Amino acid sequence: MKKLFALLLSLIMMLSLCACGSETSAETETDSDYDYITGNGYLVIGITEYQPMNYYDENGVLTGFDTEFAQEVCSRLGVEAQFQIIDWDMKETELMSRNIDCIWNGLTVTEERRENMDFTTSYLTNRQCVVINSANADTYTDAASLASAMISAESGSAGETAVLADASLSTANYTPSSSQADALLALKAGNYDAIVIDYTMATASVGNGDYADMMILEDIALANEEYAIGFRLGSDMTARVNEIIEEMIADGTLAALAEKYDMTDLYEATLN
Amino acid sequence: MNEFINVTLQLAEGFKTTLGLFFLTLLFSIPLGLLVAVCARSHFTPLRILIRGFVYIIRGTPLLLQLMIVVYLPGIAFQYPITKWPIFGGDVAMAYFYGALVAFVINYACYFSEIFRGGIENIPKGQYEAAEVLGMTKSQIFFKVILLQVIRNILAPMSNEIITLVKDTALARTVSVMEMLFFAEEILTNQYIVWPLFYTGVFYLVFSAFLTFLFNLAEKKLSKYWN
Repeated sequence: MKKLFALLLSLIMMLSLCACGSETSAETETDSDYDYITGNGYLVIGITEYQPMNYYDENGVLTGFDTEFAQEVCSRLGVEAQFQIIDWDMKETELMSRNIDCIWNGLTVTEERRENMDFTTSYLTNRQCVVINSANADTYTDAASLASAMISAESGSAGETAVLADASLSTANYTPSSSQADALLALKAGNYDAIVIDYTMATASVGNGDYADMMILEDIALANEEYAIGFRLGSDMTARVNEIIEEMIADGTLAALAEKYDMTDLYEATLN
Repeated sequence: MNEFINVTLQLAEGFKTTLGLFFLTLLFSIPLGLLVAVCARSHFTPLRILIRGFVYIIRGTPLLLQLMIVVYLPGIAFQYPITKWPIFGGDVAMAYFYGALVAFVINYACYFSEIFRGGIENIPKGQYEAAEVLGMTKSQIFFKVILLQVIRNILAPMSNEIITLVKDTALARTVSVMEMLFFAEEILTNQYIVWPLFYTGVFYLVFSAFLTFLFNLAEKKLSKYWN
């Protein structure tokens, strides 16, 4: 039954691809991406399957933060949302070839990617933060004061990247930990002066139980990863979707969605 | 091929730490174990009870827990974190390495001490008496009559313990000692290559083969004293 379903699905996908292709060729070349998409009546959204952004729930229905977000934006645009699973390495090619109209899948904004696509405003932030023992609150106040401190982050994590990218923290005495939990324990022991971990992890643990005497240095801004939607270079869709994102922020739809997927911190970090 | 050489070199870097931990543990735990064995046979009852109690605690708790105690407890219980000890001069990696070494030395000294005690107590009392009748001094009896027989007796259990130590060094990664498995996991998280994790097994196997060879050689050399 499952196999049959998968077969049917892939057939539909292939057909829709063909349909998409033929329509593209039939369409007269227009400068406006918005006209092109509204003309088609649907927005083809390039995704990969991953939780919590785009994934199939137990009933085989595509859901997730980005899925619901995209469906809402499309309904406000008056077009249908069509999700297309792509090979992530081929996303730029897919976008330029108009196989897809946008990449919307926890896409991190980077300078290199700006050369190949336009980003909307960021809607989520994978934020890293510095945690210290409250006893040292007077010693460590900003990034500069940590320049010669002993610091740690999980080996290979976004936190480690943030440490190495920061002008002050990169000069500190850095040692990788095997996990964020280990880093917290070692901070508690005073083996490190400061650690860099995910903001969500930090807010969940700092101030609780034996970690009551720790604090987050809110003032230190580390290089964050921001998620945004990628459209074709020069596309007028970027501005249109930005307007809708503004609307959704204003009317609380996006906040409610973030809460549903337990990403309120990441959402609020983006607003600040 | 290039990837293979790169990974091998990176793992070799970690294996140096593994070997350092292994040899230094042996260097300190064998004499310490001998001392513990002698104290555990002491006729001074309080000392004997103290040492046997200590051996019981060390042998009765996981090495992993002992590692965590050495590395985290000084900071948590005494506000004197191991990384801030002046002797390490702010070198965090060194502090963790020597912290782990202390835990390994104490743990292995206790296991070795029991092997030594068994080896010593296995020598028939008649040999001491005979040597005494011949007019030998106590130290003469120990070094000329007893010691070699003890070494022969303990060779097999010691080789067991020592080969276990090779693999136990991997536990040190949990307290941030950058031994070989730590490097393998770093390759996994940074370069998304899985096979080095399993490839580390080759290093352990080769080294264990080398140790087995040494023990076989020692057994052969000692076998002439067998009868």
